[in-house]
Amino acid sequence: MGNDSYRVTRRIFGVGVFGAGVVASSLAGIAPARAQGTPKRGGTLVATWGGGEPQACYVPAGGGSSPTFSSSKLFERLGNRTMEGKFQGELAESWKPSADFKSYTIKIRKGVKFHDGKDMTVDDVVYSISEIWKKYAAASALTDFAGVAAPDAETVVMTFNTPIPEFFFSSLLCGNVNYIVPKHVYAGSDPVTNPANNAPIGTGPWKFKEWVRGSHFEYVKHDAYWRKDMPYMDRLIIRYVRDPAGRAAAMEAGDIHIGVFNPVAPPDIKRLTGTGKFVATPKGYEESVWSTTLECNMRNPIFAKREVRQAMFHAVDRSFIAKTVYYGYARPGTSPIYSPNKEFFTADTYKTGFDPKKAAALLDAAGFPKKADGKRFAVNLLAAGWFTENGKIGAYVKQALEDVGIAVNLSVPDRPTSIKRIYTDYDFDMAISNQANPSEPVPSTTQYFTTDGIKKGVPFRNANGYSNPEVDALVAKIKVETDPAKRKELVFQFEKIITVEAPLLPLVELESITVASTKVQNHSNDPNYLAATWYDIWLAS
Amino acid sequence: MQRLELPRFEFIGRFARNRGALIGALLILVVALMALLGPLFFPVDPLRIVGQPELWPGEDPDFPLGTDSLGRDMLSMIVHGARATLLIGLFASAVATVIGVGVGATAGYFGGWIDEIAMRAAELFQTIPNLIFVLTIVVILGSTLTNIVIAIGVVSWTPIARMTRAEFLSLRDREFVQACRAMGMGDLKIIVTEILPNALPPVIVLSSLVVAGAILFESAVSFLGLGDPNVASWGRLVGDGRLLIRSSWYICAIPGVAIMITVLCLNLIGDGLNDALNPKLRDR
Repeated sequence: MGNDSYRVTRRIFGVGVFGAGVVASSLAGIAPARAQGTPKRGGTLVATWGGGEPQACYVPAGGGSSPTFSSSKLFERLGNRTMEGKFQGELAESWKPSADFKSYTIKIRKGVKFHDGKDMTVDDVVYSISEIWKKYAAASALTDFAGVAAPDAETVVMTFNTPIPEFFFSSLLCGNVNYIVPKHVYAGSDPVTNPANNAPIGTGPWKFKEWVRGSHFEYVKHDAYWRKDMPYMDRLIIRYVRDPAGRAAAMEAGDIHIGVFNPVAPPDIKRLTGTGKFVATPKGYEESVWSTTLECNMRNPIFAKREVRQAMFHAVDRSFIAKTVYYGYARPGTSPIYSPNKEFFTADTYKTGFDPKKAAALLDAAGFPKKADGKRFAVNLLAAGWFTENGKIGAYVKQALEDVGIAVNLSVPDRPTSIKRIYTDYDFDMAISNQANPSEPVPSTTQYFTTDGIKKGVPFRNANGYSNPEVDALVAKIKVETDPAKRKELVFQFEKIITVEAPLLPLVELESITVASTKVQNHSNDPNYLAATWYDIWLAS
Repeated sequence: MQRLELPRFEFIGRFARNRGALIGALLILVVALMALLGPLFFPVDPLRIVGQPELWPGEDPDFPLGTDSLGRDMLSMIVHGARATLLIGLFASAVATVIGVGVGATAGYFGGWIDEIAMRAAELFQTIPNLIFVLTIVVILGSTLTNIVIAIGVVSWTPIARMTRAEFLSLRDREFVQACRAMGMGDLKIIVTEILPNALPPVIVLSSLVVAGAILFESAVSFLGLGDPNVASWGRLVGDGRLLIRSSWYICAIPGVAIMITVLCLNLIGDGLNDALNPKLRDR
């Protein structure tokens, strides 16, 4: 994760968030068109997402979901992942590890042009990896990075100090903002403040035309795009509407064709799809699954005993949260690795299901019986105010904990205050926050639990101070285990330990929703659709 | 000596002559009774989830006003909310009045550089948009009931200060004040016992309007999600219901109407007080 991804939006806490699967060094071609009928060419597509305008069109460190959404149409990555979980090349044609897994050889695609007409070369790739990925986009994932070089005009070799699992490497190539940027634009400048960030030049299917601040981005078709005859449409507009109700109205009026990442309020989803003019789908979020988490601050001696932490989770009915707060667009969380993760999720973990009696018994046994006033102890519960749902969950958790005899003082601060209190000041006993994780657990998931994840002032890391040598050692092993089967076993072990220890667990896994007009074809066909290039989208008449 | 010496019945008579004010006062009395006695009828914490979410008013006899998006009893929240809302209004108005009268009286009575400093300070406060100022203070101090009261008080004192100062300016050189000075009375005593009672009537009217303004401020703060989450307040309820306005609009509408009626009544009472306290209107 980029150190400076302070902007939290619902999609990205992790910037080096990457994909999962088994390496397929297949030639990336045009994804199988699953369109109905022949794609229609031309026209303008208007898209939106369930958040606000970004701080810049492209932020090298990621900067949250909003700049990822706007920049991912203009830039491309070396690889991407299919809905079936296979890795495939995008700007790379293939990649393969050396025998000791300490270096990877990447074949670069030829005939790719940037929007300004210059050819993309291995120099651009070397520059992007060493100057952008290592320093910003994938800084926390590239801790063991040794170097990158281009032995010839179509090959790039990345070397590492330790063995790097293939899955980890492939995921890295597909990372959210691990783009190939033009060296001739960025070299010699500070990438963070380069003016090109607000009028990016990439290799993607869409070419930047205009940013009308407060309203929209206008992108036009990149005529020299390497995928032949793509994209189908002439223009792509990304419009920002502040309010979910406003987005619903704009979609109904036909002004916006597609909205990703929960563009409208849940009750409106049913209303819109009920008209027959819209479809809603949870597809396209498999590589960026969101959750709402509850954590116990280990700095408070009450939470030193793991029985107490387990009791907190036993006291809460996660199905209620999923059903009522999220209108069913969520499911109870059971493990730090989320259930859509085909590679690493296991159901064989310690379960802290809803059982207030067990919670009470655990608290009694841990030495916190009810006192004369019916209370065991008091906690400050902080629900991060960046999503309205968090406040509602806070209200429910307060009640649930009060039912087992814990006095709760709830606070729901706004976004900057929540980030400061949770991740800088550690000013909470229990906190409700959110995270989004890709399939690859290192480092996005693991840094919430390891000792080196405790970084004061860095948001979306280990804020509760949990430190366990056993977990640290296990994660160190996961990092370098190159045998996929053994690695999987190690991750399962990690899940088991974390669910028993319960420093932080997901309350619910969220189901993100894309709402689109039935006219929109070829959408939601990428496991991280918000960050996909959308080269094949088209609009039926 | 001129004093506020309206016979009590005459005062009530004048107040009641304004029909609107009378209705306003009666309705506020109902709200106040609700706030005082509500907890007797609804002893359970109003923020407890007690039923199905989003039950419409009348759908279930147990919840005459329905339930909100989490399944909390709307009626219970409205009744308990009256308490929070009125308390915030009254205390915020008290804070604003104390600051405003203190600053205004000092500035008006002493004049000179004290007046300059006080009025420039007041102008400084007036140039900052009120709502943004309130939000800033609440964000910095934290979202608790006390902080919200302080924040609203801090932004609402300036009109009271200016009004008090104007009254003091016109009164400080009157004969009765000069007589007091000639008798050797101290400044503080003159301010508190001689000028203030004469300056107070318009200030009281203004304070009653500040109560209404404070309720609106609190509603706005809560609507934006910065209210005290441990307290049921009407504004918070409107804010919670905002996303459901197309499907379950009653969640917004019921507390919205409650806020509207209360604020309207307070304004009517302000008019009534003005009629009753303003000697120039006495025989209109």
